[in-house]
Amino acid sequence: MTTAQVAQALVSGLLIGFVFALIAAGLTLIFGVMEIVNFAHGEFLMLSMYLSYFLHAGLGWDPIAALPVNAAALFALGVLVYYALIRRVLRAPMLAQIFATFGLGVFLQNAAQFLWRPDFRTLGDSWVTGRLAVAGVYVSGPQLAAAGGAVLTTGALWWLLSRTEVGRALLATAEDRHAASLMGINPDRMFALAWGLGAACVGVAGALLSTFYYVFPQVGSVFALIAFVAVALGGFGSVVGAFAGGVLIGVVESLAGVFVAPAIKNVFVFAIYLVVVLLRPRGLFGKL
Amino acid sequence: MKIVFVAAAVLLVGLYPLVVRGPYPQHLMILVLLNALLGTAWNILGGFAGQISLGQATFFGAGAFTSTLLFQHAGVSPWLGLLAGAAVAAGLALVIGYPCFRLSGHYFAIATIAVGEIVGIVVTNWDFAGGAVGLFLPVEGESIGAFKFGDKLGYHYVIATLLGVSLALAAWLRRGRPGYYWRAIREDQAAARSVGVPATRYKQLAIAISAALTAMAGTFYAQYVLFIDPPSVLPLSLSIQICLVAVLGGAGTLLGPVLGALVLVPLSAATSVALGGSGRSLDLVVYGLLIMLIAAFEPAGLVGLARRLRGHPTR
Amino acid sequence: MSRRPAPALALAVLAVSLVSPRARAAPPTEVVIGAVYPLSGNLAKVGNDIKDAIELAAELVNEDVDLPVPLGKGKGLTNLGGARIRVVFADHQSSPEKGLSEAERLITQEKIVAVMGSYNSNVTATASQAAERLKTPFLNADSTSPLLTGRGFRWFFRTTPTDDEFSENFFKFLGEMKKRGKGIKNVALFYENTLFGTDVSKFEKKYAQQYGYPVVADVAYDAKSTNLNAEIQRLKAASADVLLQASYTNDAILSTKTMKELDFRPQAILAMDAGHVSSEFVPSLGKDAEGVLSREVWALGLGAKKPIVQKVNELFRKRTQAGRGQPIDMDGTSARAFVGLLVLADAINRAGSTEAEKIRGALEATDLPGDQLIMPWKGVKFDPKTHQNTLGSGILVQIQDGKYVVVYPFDLAAADVRWPLPAWGK
Repeated sequence: MTTAQVAQALVSGLLIGFVFALIAAGLTLIFGVMEIVNFAHGEFLMLSMYLSYFLHAGLGWDPIAALPVNAAALFALGVLVYYALIRRVLRAPMLAQIFATFGLGVFLQNAAQFLWRPDFRTLGDSWVTGRLAVAGVYVSGPQLAAAGGAVLTTGALWWLLSRTEVGRALLATAEDRHAASLMGINPDRMFALAWGLGAACVGVAGALLSTFYYVFPQVGSVFALIAFVAVALGGFGSVVGAFAGGVLIGVVESLAGVFVAPAIKNVFVFAIYLVVVLLRPRGLFGKL
Repeated sequence: MKIVFVAAAVLLVGLYPLVVRGPYPQHLMILVLLNALLGTAWNILGGFAGQISLGQATFFGAGAFTSTLLFQHAGVSPWLGLLAGAAVAAGLALVIGYPCFRLSGHYFAIATIAVGEIVGIVVTNWDFAGGAVGLFLPVEGESIGAFKFGDKLGYHYVIATLLGVSLALAAWLRRGRPGYYWRAIREDQAAARSVGVPATRYKQLAIAISAALTAMAGTFYAQYVLFIDPPSVLPLSLSIQICLVAVLGGAGTLLGPVLGALVLVPLSAATSVALGGSGRSLDLVVYGLLIMLIAAFEPAGLVGLARRLRGHPTR
Repeated sequence: MSRRPAPALALAVLAVSLVSPRARAAPPTEVVIGAVYPLSGNLAKVGNDIKDAIELAAELVNEDVDLPVPLGKGKGLTNLGGARIRVVFADHQSSPEKGLSEAERLITQEKIVAVMGSYNSNVTATASQAAERLKTPFLNADSTSPLLTGRGFRWFFRTTPTDDEFSENFFKFLGEMKKRGKGIKNVALFYENTLFGTDVSKFEKKYAQQYGYPVVADVAYDAKSTNLNAEIQRLKAASADVLLQASYTNDAILSTKTMKELDFRPQAILAMDAGHVSSEFVPSLGKDAEGVLSREVWALGLGAKKPIVQKVNELFRKRTQAGRGQPIDMDGTSARAFVGLLVLADAINRAGSTEAEKIRGALEATDLPGDQLIMPWKGVKFDPKTHQNTLGSGILVQIQDGKYVVVYPFDLAAADVRWPLPAWGK
């Protein structure tokens, strides 16, 4: 166990952790504002990745350059899902809400398989292909870019929430939707906005991931579970928490994989979750 | 009125495999009964007591592996294995419940997922339990004592009996003090505690019973398919499916899980046969749509729908 | 294939047999075979490749073609009055329970005379159990877990070689390379942790010990990982000479990319088929896939010494172009499925009957010569006890200039082995 190995494990873990963090941030935003867990979040990611793929294959657009398109498209999708489906289950029991988004996830995943076949697709070279070596630690270009993009986007989200009027309206709605509506904030619009922003976040994550991960209909499930755990770990509703959760999971997974045994690395991830929530039943930064 | 209904149901189920002779429809009915059992077990914890568990597969697998390993290594009869599996699962449930019941709502749900995943990974890497390869049960040696039947009739009656016992148990519990306390805990745990309801103890009771019943279903599955491995008895997708059966039918009601199973199993089979063979997953697309529709338009499930059609207000 | 003609056909046959008094029952006009494969879900592509291959084989049997494949000449099953083969497919969605019930359904409701299936070894296990109970022949062309033929089943037959043979093949190959002066002292194992990888690793460990290669790293990984950084890091730390890998498609691609990123390069990578020979591997990785060695059951390159391979592949490309919109080359899985159906058809034909026991007997007596097969096998002949094909064998291919080239056994090789792996580009 050399310092170089520890350093490599840490760096690798951090990089992927930032991507987890971004995916988790979108998820936690939706939950924070309306207490609904989006079980189709992974499928949003998958759709964004397919979008990047088709833009690249059809129009030759680099996924990083096309990133704003992903964000906009997924924003629209989030809003659409809110108005078409989520609105109807706002007052339904938690189970119904779980199954509404879960059903959406099953639908989207298999529609993707039906439309685009189950083949794996990769995007080939992009602007960020390549690898850096810094003091014996290897950093892959795409992963570094993804991490950077994730940090920037999460930061932008946090800034939006805490420093802009719209953001504060969102937070107010999350806090107490009745009080917020008394103040003239339209909760319906806020919910739609939360869905739009949450989806946009995962849309950005998808564009970033597509530069180094392969695209296929089930890719969402792989990341979604980690995102749920990250959100719960960080505290439902807290963007900072989701960020911390994502990074923590990335690092734990990496360290456990390198120094214990890769086959059971996820045991540590889930174990960390259990330990944290048992000590702090609302998660690291949870406020609900 | 209810007695008539129950008697009719018992008669129907009892006569089914004698009237319907094709192995495939018999198999479907067994699946319906099995899923109804799993849904009922989930319902006790999730529907009655309001603790949403997304990790029931853990108990299913516990039952399946316990009875199979006992049989393989100590020659223990699968019937005893059935009981042993239930005991192991109940014990496991108490261990899980003790820390996890401090969590609420979504945190608890995700905790059950986390536990399920941990168990799945551990078993996959545990050679004694067959690891990734799984465990085979011998195909020959059919007899009641061996819990192995040449045709489907024996299996049908076993699972029907297990389901009947579970439903009776659920009905009895619901009507008694546990049901009363569970309802209080489900509606508002803090308020319940403040009037003296021992919430933790009763939640533990719920999860232990739920686990025991689920484990028995697991043993049944092992004896029916004669092969178990982590992907078939421990995956998250199974936990979700179990939940779905109860929710579709109507969580918190007695009949809900049964109705849910009655609809979901044939539906899944039908869409799979009609559409799945094309290899394009259309059946699962339809499946997803249905789940969304139920969730959006009738959250109280089929029971709720039935009540609405009969003019009763839904809960 | 629409199911609607069947009832009409059945009625016609019934009518004919009622009219002709006391005659021998007229031979059936069609013989139905069931096929249980993963047609949706993760393995949908594999399942569909198999489906196309089986349907192509059936077509060649049913039509009169000028190809030296079994039953190519003449229309349909010649000993059964030209009865046509019809294959009914069922999707098991990679679930053992579904495999079991679909096999049962096909046998009892579709009146099939034999079953083919199921790719996933754990699903083949249960599906063949159903066939065993229902006394129906089950032909497995593509599941390599040795357990399957160790169950003493009477109705289960397997044409493909198993992971046992394939693993030993690796070490025989390494021995040959050592003779050629390559310094190979130790190996590392890297495998996905479900049935496939775990099985393979057991045999690799056994033969590594037998042939005297210390295993310096034994890394099992979860195929559903979001990243393989930790795993590759461990492999790198162990610095083995040769890496033995068993991965499915997505993890094969991901692991190769990660190896490049972390600059991990053993002298050679010996892969156990599956992901590394899937049709997406080279297109996804381009130059980074160069030099990878994999055991294979088949390669397009065999066409150099066996022209029939090329011809059949052309037909396969035409069929996939028409049905799926793009021409797809055959690979080891589709090739074995193709041969599997022909073996079944040949047996049914020799049995001259659709009676299960007769077909079973005919299968046991199978002795197909290698030159009638597109496989690099000496032929198909089943061991009397285990019903495992004893004449099968594996080959090793290497990715050279983007193509899979047969490099071992040396007498079937189309080119020399390039050793060691080239350094990572860019």
